Amino acid sequence: MRDPNAIDFWRGFALVTIFINHVPGNTFERYTFSQYGISDAAELFVFLAGWSIGIATRGRDGTPEPAGKSVVRLLARTVEVYRAQLTVMLLALALIAGAALLLDNPLILEWHNAGGFFADPIQSVCGMALMTYQLGFFNILPLYVVLIGIAPIFVLVGRLSLIAALALSGAVYLASLVFEWNLPSWPGEGDWFFDPFCWQVLLVLGFVLQGWNLRSDTLRRWSRRLIPAGIVIVILGIVLAVTGLRPDPLMVPEPRLLFTFEKTYLTPARLLHFLGVLLAFAPLYALLAPRIGGVGRYLSQLGRNSLAVFSMGSILSLIGQLVRFQTGGGVLVDMLVAGSGLVGLGFTAWFVEWRTRNKSSRPRP
Amino acid sequence: MRRVRASGFRWALAALILAGPAAAAEQPADTGDQPSLSQECRVPGAQLYTMAKLSAVRSALSENRPLKILAIGGSAAPGASASYPAKLEAALEQALPKTDVTIDHRGLPGEIASGASERLRTMVAEAEPDLVVWQVGTHDAIARVDADAFASALSEAVAWIRSHGIDVVLVDPIYTASMAADVDYNRIVEAVRTVAGQQQVPLVRRYEALRYLSSRSDKGEGHMLGRQFRLNDLGLRCMAEHVALTIATSLMRTEAEPAPKIAPALTEPQRAPG
Repeated sequence: MRDPNAIDFWRGFALVTIFINHVPGNTFERYTFSQYGISDAAELFVFLAGWSIGIATRGRDGTPEPAGKSVVRLLARTVEVYRAQLTVMLLALALIAGAALLLDNPLILEWHNAGGFFADPIQSVCGMALMTYQLGFFNILPLYVVLIGIAPIFVLVGRLSLIAALALSGAVYLASLVFEWNLPSWPGEGDWFFDPFCWQVLLVLGFVLQGWNLRSDTLRRWSRRLIPAGIVIVILGIVLAVTGLRPDPLMVPEPRLLFTFEKTYLTPARLLHFLGVLLAFAPLYALLAPRIGGVGRYLSQLGRNSLAVFSMGSILSLIGQLVRFQTGGGVLVDMLVAGSGLVGLGFTAWFVEWRTRNKSSRPRP
Repeated sequence: MRRVRASGFRWALAALILAGPAAAAEQPADTGDQPSLSQECRVPGAQLYTMAKLSAVRSALSENRPLKILAIGGSAAPGASASYPAKLEAALEQALPKTDVTIDHRGLPGEIASGASERLRTMVAEAEPDLVVWQVGTHDAIARVDADAFASALSEAVAWIRSHGIDVVLVDPIYTASMAADVDYNRIVEAVRTVAGQQQVPLVRRYEALRYLSSRSDKGEGHMLGRQFRLNDLGLRCMAEHVALTIATSLMRTEAEPAPKIAPALTEPQRAPG
């Protein structure tokens, strides 16, 4: 097992934040950083995924592994994430249907757009396999499948030139904002909640910055110099979030998406805010790590097993929502939901690591 | 062209008046079914809707433009994913002959009190409709959002849509027996009604309508999952009709007190549409 480190720590932090934010209306939601800025934990998660691709495909000295090996590695990961998405979707639909039956309450069928599935299972099951049918809150993994699926392109271009990889990614990002490119939802109208054409820029940015960080000291020097700018952006984000000030999407000039704050398209304001958060908070780990002991180890363990923890978090947050709904919520219920959820996430991470350790030579039962 | 448009609208009015005397009344009658609703969906007007003006829809009709509707929320009725929007389109084109109705149907998961109202703005900006038909409250009720927080967020969202010259029709959450005594749930339903009143937008009282339908003797088809699920299916089947009737009735009211600048067109002689 890797030792606790900044990347795993922040990944674990993002996972916990996503878990809490996916039980909407709960008491602890207002204590997550997502409530105090334009960007949120989703940005952090995708950026760190890009950074991790860099770690996985490059040696410590920055020399890349053979190209074929990187491609197969990313392909294997894509399959793994796709499998997780199918499993999680099936369990979520079963939880929703089961709760509706058990409580004799058809209202529950409408949860997170699940109604479409039960109304039209023939088309929806195809949409589920194609990932064009997504439940509310269950839309990060489809994005992840697409991003890791196309990552080999950027990884290979990055072998030639990291600037070229970033330029290609940035061009796709800008074009998607201007022409509003997105993948469609089906069945039903609309588009993906997370637009992969836009969000890929964050993955590639993570990958490229990891490469630069290995190569020279310049990036670290500049990120230290820019800490004040990061702090200013963070403060501005807090002010905008608390006052609820944001551009009116019907009033901004064309192309609209360059100016609005939309999560779907990771609009420039969100991207800029995320970079500010990164500059302001990245140095914090080195200060915190020696002081928070167990918390740091817990979050790093979550971060090391992010796919399993994220998947289990999606299911646990749905169960948490059902519990809150049926009991009527309240601080005690929220403490129970959040507490058992955090224990469940920790157990998931521990279990995955235990299983990996014990996979060795013994025959399976 | 203008005359034709105006007369087209008159034809629509005439059809409406013929179709439903109760619908033409300023206040819906407390008794008597709506003749324009199908047998299984009949609900007295007072329990089905409250009216308000729909100026943007009205001007789209009088300019003979296609009527663009953004239908938000809720799943389609069993059978096909397209059935609620398709039925709404059919019901509206029947109520408003000579009008081309296009419907963009979107799901809006999440709570209005937190992120979903932002997403709504995006949808409205993308669709640029004349009218938003919004089924609202279910997600906030499920997430146990405080009714006051919900009401203020909804109020703000509706005001924003209307500030851009777009009409809104609200549809409140469903009635189901297990929620009937739930105080928080009823407060959310109440909040939708209050906001519709304050913002002066028409409201389809789905909760009341379904409660009325559930109280009727229900012989006939059963449902393998139980009575509440049968009622839910019926509610989904009837929703398009209920929404169309609410829109048509509200248009009557808009017509009854025309805006001054459009008034002259209506006084011109009626011509055969074509």
